[in-house]
Amino acid sequence: MKPILLQGHEWPITQIKYNGKGDLLFTVAKDPIVNVWYSVNAVWYVHADWNTKHVLTGSADNSCHLWDCETGKYFFDLRDPSQIDNNEPYVKIPCNDSKITSAIWGPQGECIIAGHKSGELNQYSAKSGKVLVNIKEHLRQINDIRLSRDMTMFVTASKDNTAKIFDSTTLEHQKTFWTERPANSAALSPNYDHVVLGGGQEAMDITTTSTRIGKFEARFFHLAFEEEFGRVKGNFGPINSFAFQPDGKSYSSGGEDGYVLFLHARHYAGHPGL
Amino acid sequence: MQDAENVAVPEAAEERAEPGQQQPAAEPPPDAGLPRPAGPGAPEAAGTEAVSEEVAAAEAGPEPQVRTEVEAASGPSKSPSPSAAEEPPGSHVEPRAPAQEEARGKQVRDERADSRAQAASEDAGGNEGSAAEAEPRALENGDADEPSFSDPEDFVDDVSEEELLGDVLKDRPQEADGIDSVIVVDNVPQVGPDRLEKLKNVIHKIFSKFGKITNDFYPEEDGKTKGYIFLEYASPAHAVDAVKNADGYKLDKQHTFRVNLFTDFDKYMTISDEWDIPEKQPFKDLGNLRYWLEEAECRDQYSVIFESGDRTSIFWNDVKDPVSIEERARWTETYVRWSPKGTYLATFHQRGIALWGGEKFKQIQRFSHQGVQLIDFSPCERYLVTFSPLMDTQDDPQAIIIWDILTGHKKRGFHCESSAHWPIFKWSHDGKFFARMTLDTLSIYETPSMGLLDKKSLKISGIKDFSWSPGGNIIAFWVPEDKDIPARVTLMQLPTRQEIRVRNLFNVVDCKLHWQKNGDYLCVKVDRTPKGTQGVVTNFEIFRMREKQVPVDVVEMKETITAFAWEPNGSKCAVLHGEAPRISVSFYHVKNNRKIELIKMFDKQQANTIFWSPQGQFVVLAGLRSMNGALAFVDTSDCTVMNIAEHYMASDVEWDPTGRYVVTSVSWWSHKVDNAYWLWTFQGRLLQKNNKDRFCQLLWRPRPPTLLSQEQIKQIKKDLKKYSKIFEQKDRLSQSKASKELVERRRTMMEDFRKYRKMAQELYMEQKNERLELRGGVDTDELDSNVDDWEEETIEFFVTEEIIPLGNQE
Repeated sequence: MKPILLQGHEWPITQIKYNGKGDLLFTVAKDPIVNVWYSVNAVWYVHADWNTKHVLTGSADNSCHLWDCETGKYFFDLRDPSQIDNNEPYVKIPCNDSKITSAIWGPQGECIIAGHKSGELNQYSAKSGKVLVNIKEHLRQINDIRLSRDMTMFVTASKDNTAKIFDSTTLEHQKTFWTERPANSAALSPNYDHVVLGGGQEAMDITTTSTRIGKFEARFFHLAFEEEFGRVKGNFGPINSFAFQPDGKSYSSGGEDGYVLFLHARHYAGHPGL
Repeated sequence: MQDAENVAVPEAAEERAEPGQQQPAAEPPPDAGLPRPAGPGAPEAAGTEAVSEEVAAAEAGPEPQVRTEVEAASGPSKSPSPSAAEEPPGSHVEPRAPAQEEARGKQVRDERADSRAQAASEDAGGNEGSAAEAEPRALENGDADEPSFSDPEDFVDDVSEEELLGDVLKDRPQEADGIDSVIVVDNVPQVGPDRLEKLKNVIHKIFSKFGKITNDFYPEEDGKTKGYIFLEYASPAHAVDAVKNADGYKLDKQHTFRVNLFTDFDKYMTISDEWDIPEKQPFKDLGNLRYWLEEAECRDQYSVIFESGDRTSIFWNDVKDPVSIEERARWTETYVRWSPKGTYLATFHQRGIALWGGEKFKQIQRFSHQGVQLIDFSPCERYLVTFSPLMDTQDDPQAIIIWDILTGHKKRGFHCESSAHWPIFKWSHDGKFFARMTLDTLSIYETPSMGLLDKKSLKISGIKDFSWSPGGNIIAFWVPEDKDIPARVTLMQLPTRQEIRVRNLFNVVDCKLHWQKNGDYLCVKVDRTPKGTQGVVTNFEIFRMREKQVPVDVVEMKETITAFAWEPNGSKCAVLHGEAPRISVSFYHVKNNRKIELIKMFDKQQANTIFWSPQGQFVVLAGLRSMNGALAFVDTSDCTVMNIAEHYMASDVEWDPTGRYVVTSVSWWSHKVDNAYWLWTFQGRLLQKNNKDRFCQLLWRPRPPTLLSQEQIKQIKKDLKKYSKIFEQKDRLSQSKASKELVERRRTMMEDFRKYRKMAQELYMEQKNERLELRGGVDTDELDSNVDDWEEETIEFFVTEEIIPLGNQE
């Protein structure tokens, strides 16, 4: 059975996410026109709040937009002082050492966990902006951080060819998954001890290498054993972002090829190796 | 040496040779009227007479006299530095004076001796830069009206001259300056003054061949010359040249010249007569350097360079997983090499080569060679050849250095223009000889003396390539056609230089020499353009080295040849031929009945390289790099393809020294992604995929040749069944152990993970109330916890269907 192919973008997908309920899938790409959400430039990040009322997008022109999810109504640009009453951010966290390449809110919204270009992970207090925990488990840039459904742990995907599991409160390293390619994204299954990760070579190398060595498959690992147990082919380019539906019955992958693949469990259950 | 006078002579001579060293202060302003006693242009033409005069003066001992005068002139309070004081009067003589000065110099000559002391004082004054200079100069110029600036007699200068003009003093003439250009000729006929002129002419004729003679001196005694003479050249290089070429020159029956550098006398004089017994070096116990051969499982080792060269590791090869022995950061700056018998691991550094070995891979030896790029071991592991493009100078060859590995001493240096065909020095199989090819010359050197074999090179005009037999001291070389003389391949026995076989070839474009590993056969791949045909035809000329007269068989090939390789320890060879993509592989067997049989040909192969197992029989045909890493594992005993596989973009194939395993790898040096090495059995079963970040190079540690005799090996092969039973049992045991371990490991992993999850869940539940509060009482923990809020909408899409007939249906 073929997976459902969502072709809403013509440019590489940068991030995909489900809303809390799992009935909506947000996809953003480097499109100047985003099929779902408007932005004038490549949209790099998207996040919907817990009850799917508002959606925040961040894009390559360094702007950050807040939207009403239901109507698509545009609220304001976080960066534009004229659009917000009080332009002072709640907390400013200085970060001079190494660029932040990905970040998530910690459980209970008390802290922010940020992944850096150097491979470092920092847990910042949301109230004071102080660094609570600093670790360096990855050797190179952290491309993506995703929380588990219960937010007790998160998975990082790094350019150093590994994905790792950490505890979101203590930032204790739990597990490591090795591949032979830079990992662009990883996601934790909400209902199984599975983690899926994808990547391939860097976007700039794609045109110079053949698809045969691409390794653009979605790779499934067992959480506890750190062993790969299956692969699902689909995208024609490196996978840039993964998301599990909150019920765990399906997942989507967005690739450099501009497609979003929506795979239900019944699509990949019969896949050899699964 | 003989006596003091001999030493004095060149001293004087040398001083006259170095005019440039004069202090400017010592030069009084040019004075046309009065011929200065020792002006800057003291005549070269003053010649021998002047020299002898000076020598005589020196002999007579005016020096002490001069010295006192100098001291007096520069003031009693001064403490002249010894070198300044010793500066003899001759330092004013300038051999390279302008020609017009010469005439004047002649007139002056007579007055010279008298005025020498004055000159000395002037000189010394100038040297020291003291006011003492003023007086003689004033006198000289006859200018008495000028006020005297001289110090009162009791003046004590409190500034040392070093302080005043240290920069100038630094350049003052040294006693030894120019001494390098002087040679001593012994066994010269002893003649009276009547025949001296004639002798001088003869000598001049012989020795001016090597350079301009600026000075000569014939010591005399009782009216006759003493039988040895001194000659000075314009430059030290000429002197060296003269020593090299005129030493041993036969003037007549009684007189054979012995020519030496003057400096050599000094050098050999200073050598102590007593011989110091060299200090005994404490014995350094390096442990068992071959410990790895005693490993119970007979595993092999290999070195791996990864992280683009930053890290180097040594592993035991194991069927399950490689076992790390040693890992070091920045162990080498470029790459590593094993010695041919595996005893040493060589690492490359900017400043030289280091050798490591023993169980802990401790440093065993260092060889300092700045900028070293290439190395080569002698097959016996006794010598190391290093190459560096830096540091080579004309007189001190340092481009290639041959070292003694055990002592760490430099044995000999060589010049080298290009390292394009490394190794430049090729070693004979036993390390007794090494040879190098230069234009029209083949130079063979012997160990341990490192000198040319029989002191001369072989003149072989047009020699293009040569190669040592790996099984005996035989050199094969070939010479291309030269007009009517056909091209030829020659086999030469050494050290006798006896030609054991010469084969003439016609219309040759190129030849390649391929020795079988034991030296049993030599295959010369000959590319020819026969008359009346177009294009290149390739012949394999196969020399049977172990048979009488070395018979040659010819195999003609119609297609272009991509690769050729002998089976090690066997009599088969593999050839890749044809144009891509229609490449075929052929296996030939050189039989004893004077026939060469084509055993098998496979066509449509994806291969560009042949890799025989070091034990023979098995072969891997690989299509490296551009051919995407296609691999074919062939058993040549019955010519079956055991397996076809692929290691995408593989750049290297390496057999282990026993022929049990083979490694294919994608090196970061040739390809930037998927750098890894894969381990296969000799049959082509993939055992491991080892991904290493920026993996660069894998090298198996070689093993020394087996100590078992042919009979013993045969016996083992006979009893193979017995052994295989034991091994199978072992394998089964380790396998069940491994699976047990795996199950155990997984169980503990699962348990640990469950424990962690339970803890995390508890924490999560504890925070539930807090979370509810944050989200306004909405429970987001369960997906359908607030179903009541959901609204369902049914959306209908209206689709209109319209049928448009296409084309004309009638």
